[in-house]
Amino acid sequence: MPPQLISKLLIEADGSGPYVAFEHGFRAYLAQATIFSPHASIQGEMKSDALSLANAEVARARAGDLEALEAVYRAFRAPVYNLGRRMCGNEEDAEDVLQETFLEVCRSIGRFRGDGSLWSWVRQVAVSKSLMLLRRERGRAGSRGPLPPDSLGTSPPEPTAPIDLEAALGRLSPVTRSVLWLHDVEGYTHEEIGEMMGGTASFSKSQLSRAHKRLREWLG
Amino acid sequence: MDTSKHLAMDELLALRDGEGGASSRSHVEACDECRDELERLYQFQARLRAMPTFSPPRDVWPRVVHTVRRRRLRRRLNYGVLGLAAAAALTAVVVLRGPAVDEGDQPSDSWTAEASSLDMGPVILRSRQLESLLQTYRPAQRVYDAPTALAVSVLEDRIVLLDQMLSEGRVVGADRAVMLGLWGERVATLETLVGLQAVQEDRVWR
Repeated sequence: MPPQLISKLLIEADGSGPYVAFEHGFRAYLAQATIFSPHASIQGEMKSDALSLANAEVARARAGDLEALEAVYRAFRAPVYNLGRRMCGNEEDAEDVLQETFLEVCRSIGRFRGDGSLWSWVRQVAVSKSLMLLRRERGRAGSRGPLPPDSLGTSPPEPTAPIDLEAALGRLSPVTRSVLWLHDVEGYTHEEIGEMMGGTASFSKSQLSRAHKRLREWLG
Repeated sequence: MDTSKHLAMDELLALRDGEGGASSRSHVEACDECRDELERLYQFQARLRAMPTFSPPRDVWPRVVHTVRRRRLRRRLNYGVLGLAAAAALTAVVVLRGPAVDEGDQPSDSWTAEASSLDMGPVILRSRQLESLLQTYRPAQRVYDAPTALAVSVLEDRIVLLDQMLSEGRVVGADRAVMLGLWGERVATLETLVGLQAVQEDRVWR
């Protein structure tokens, strides 16, 4: 059922206590049901590619077979590129993330133990490469230490005309945008995000809250 | 209930994620404005997940595989230097005593095994000598001009390909003439590579 239709049905219903509680539970269920989606609109494509990866192929990839590694690349290049694009915010960096991720996959796939999904492992590598790239960019700008939170001083001027969601995401700082994407789309927990970014769960929560406040201001 | 103080964004987000406290939940039940905000957050999450995707560039895998092959070759070259002394010693044994008798022990190095089983010690030794020589020409941070870089890359790829063919040859038990031909081609490619490095070295010192 499309989310818009569910919203409409729920809005039309009387907002009495039990119904509201059910609504929240149902929504939480829906959110959990798509938690593994790296990006809903490429979920189908990725699933079909990933399904085409036979266990034998994964085993050959783990042994370093380049043809099998290419099959892994073809299965996951789209979600990895999109993750990099969403976190870093531009084509060039996303391409770097894609390349660095699969160099690492080729080098380290032998360490993939197979106790989780291959996509989860590849995605973890991609997130790590994206964060490394963000740190490197920051290093070039002369800053050191953990990734900084978004701050008023680094934000672009407020838009004077209405902007769309794509443009609004582009206006967020890379760190704030990354937290938003990792949590709301990729389904990482605040604890996981905080750890990956060298911070805490509270850091992740405050960044997510900041992202939503800003997007609310810009998008209405 | 006092609904004048609305929930903060982090409280609404916690509710959306199924983590909100009982007081936040009761507030939302009573407050139309906060319920609308919560609804908006659900819708917004759905919008994010439904955003259009970007098509990845097409030319990334060739770059990845090229780098992987270079790294593998470099690693192999490093092993080659370490194995040089062992290969030389084995060749001496092959020359003095003839091919080794299989006593059930698995050789630790497939090349030295090949040298003994197919009596190809000299060509394998030459290959290793060239690899060793190549190492002396190959500092970690060598910078080539573009044509040299391309030539080096093509030759290195050729060596990787020959190694794959040699490896497959071992698996299927290719006969001595085929293996010798592949080893000969490997030596010739390495000689070209060494020559190229020597020219490059000469340019650097001038």
